[in-house]
Amino acid sequence: MRPIQSANHDPTATEPHLVDITLREVVELVRIDLPADQMEPLLERGLLPGCQLCPVRQSPSGDPIVMVDGTLLAIRHEVARCLCVRRPGSNGA
Amino acid sequence: MPPPLSDPNYQPTAGDAVLPADRTNAAITPIVALVGPPNSGKSTLFNQLTGLRQKVANYPGVTVEKHIGTARLPDQRALQLVDLPGTNGFAARSMDERVTRDVLEGRVQGLRAPDALVLIVDSTRLETQLMLVEPTLKLGIPTLLVLNMADELEQRGGAVRDDDLAEHLGVRVVRTNARNGDGLDQVRDFLIGVADRGLLPPRTCPALSNIVTGTPLPMVDQFTERRRRIQEIGRASGFVLPRGSELTERLDGLFLHRIWGPLIFLAVVVLVFQSIFTWAVPLMDGVQILVAGSGAWMAERLPESWIRALLIDGVWAGVGSVVVFLPQILVLFLFLGLLEDSGYMARAAVIADRTMYRVGLQGRAFLPLLSGYACAIPAILAARTVEDERDRLATIFVTPFMTCSARLPVYALLIAAFIPERRLVGPFLGTRAATLLGLYILGALTAIATAAVLRRTLLRGQRDSFFMELPPYRIPSVRSIGLRLYDRSRIFLRRAGTIILAVAIILWFLTQVPQSGGAPPSIDDSFIGRMGQIIEPVIRPLGFDWTIGVGLISALAAREVIIGTLGTLYQVEDPTQGSLQLQDALRNHLDLGAAVGLLVFFAFALQCTSTIAVMRRETAGWKWPVLQFGYMLTLAYGFALFANWLI
Repeated sequence: MRPIQSANHDPTATEPHLVDITLREVVELVRIDLPADQMEPLLERGLLPGCQLCPVRQSPSGDPIVMVDGTLLAIRHEVARCLCVRRPGSNGA
Repeated sequence: MPPPLSDPNYQPTAGDAVLPADRTNAAITPIVALVGPPNSGKSTLFNQLTGLRQKVANYPGVTVEKHIGTARLPDQRALQLVDLPGTNGFAARSMDERVTRDVLEGRVQGLRAPDALVLIVDSTRLETQLMLVEPTLKLGIPTLLVLNMADELEQRGGAVRDDDLAEHLGVRVVRTNARNGDGLDQVRDFLIGVADRGLLPPRTCPALSNIVTGTPLPMVDQFTERRRRIQEIGRASGFVLPRGSELTERLDGLFLHRIWGPLIFLAVVVLVFQSIFTWAVPLMDGVQILVAGSGAWMAERLPESWIRALLIDGVWAGVGSVVVFLPQILVLFLFLGLLEDSGYMARAAVIADRTMYRVGLQGRAFLPLLSGYACAIPAILAARTVEDERDRLATIFVTPFMTCSARLPVYALLIAAFIPERRLVGPFLGTRAATLLGLYILGALTAIATAAVLRRTLLRGQRDSFFMELPPYRIPSVRSIGLRLYDRSRIFLRRAGTIILAVAIILWFLTQVPQSGGAPPSIDDSFIGRMGQIIEPVIRPLGFDWTIGVGLISALAAREVIIGTLGTLYQVEDPTQGSLQLQDALRNHLDLGAAVGLLVFFAFALQCTSTIAVMRRETAGWKWPVLQFGYMLTLAYGFALFANWLI
């Protein structure tokens, strides 16, 4: 599978994943490590490399709820682990 | 300044659909399709323009079929409007998205490709929603872009300049608030233009799948490129992203709270069930007085004859005994409507998602399953939103375990007859509501267990990723809820006036023959009695006599028919007891163990021919419906036997 990443991605840097991000922290999506068929619906909803993400709360079971382009999106923990993100101002940003 | 997105020189490539030749027939009215992302307000706009009442609610995936209606223009000309399932793209992974793609490409038999499109987007989420504009415009069909929920955009400090957006996209742009009808005149102006122009000339229609994936760029680059162009247009049109909704923020803090969230979820469920047995009771008493009064009035005025017996003992006892349950059905639908329209349903799906994950179902399957509380048929159709085919089949298979509203009158009758009312948790939960809740939980747990087994055996597959858009909370409109209750009453009463009436008349005649010396036989010697006694040995172990057996068979037409059937049978059996005393009559025919057995039988058995027919259609064959009918009947018989033995 071809890794999906934003144009200014530095492959040597170790990026955190969405699950590592504290609530209310705005980060940039770098890469989605999911098979194409599972990734496409996310892309259609604006979860694209380069977009800004902000985890706004957790569901009662601990899954993240993120704000993307004005939309609240509830995603499973397992998916959040596949979303590589970058904090603003970090290496390569 | 970016060039306009609409491209009149777009050249379709191989695989594009050729539109049917009948497009040139000028006598045919133009077709306008409503297209857009899920939950952007297409069906609300469709209802406003056609005067129809397609179901609308505040969560994505409500519309899963195409609906066709006529929009009448001020000058009385007519247009055909097609309301389509929402879609975020044209990859058509799920069945509902395939419906949209096929209509747009003109691949649906008996329906020409549209002559114009109304693309409706939620203006508070403009940039993501506009991702759909580019492939839509590439179809080369005249398009109107509707920025819906424009009032919300402004209230939350967002902005966009419509004229600039129109110029950059190359389409006409209007803003509306479809819920209250603001801006509809501008949509009608567009429709007048479509009517003036008439049908599009014959041409080839580009295949949407080619537009999306036919370019040499890898998928993600296509999306990022498209996104870049949209953002550029957004900037040039002065788009300002609105602030998050404060109401949504506050309510989510409560409803999705780690502790309060599940507790509130539980409280909501308990409230619904307790209300069915408390709020509905005065209304039910009212209906009962009305039915009993009208029956007595008729009985006094009609001369003694077989017609009087048919009307009083057959029709009135049969239909009347079902009609009294209308208030309980309406209380259930009132709550379902409030939960759906407010936006809470999507949160409930999130709360339940972990359970769904463990079972192996998509969280998305939760919404179709929940709509199964109203009726299994739309719920099975709603499973079209589930993308993975194995997931969809598993969802369809377990949906009939969810307690549909046709079971409610049967449960309510048996519970009222056999379970004495006592308080369990103060005034909040009584024994009757708790029993009803228990039956709903029994259905839901069986659905979950069955799904878990299926996903590990017959429908083994990988667990899909789940995500769910959480719409902002909205205050449900009184009109929308009122119309829904009105429609539900009509459906219920129509069923009472058709199926239940027909069964009551046929049953009554079967209780009157063979006559000896001009007098009807005793009910045990009548045709229906003899037929019932043939099946009695099969159900005797469950504690059921032949009258219940006849009721169970008649319930195959629709579950609540059993009430009408028993109403007629017991009235004929003992006309002196003043009908509608069904509960007393039931206590003479069933002991507690058998009554619990009957409740359990109804919780499990697939007694609904319409559900079986829809399953056959949605699974394209008899395999799944036959398997499901056998499985559910085995469970029903087995557990009813167990209950009768235990109690």
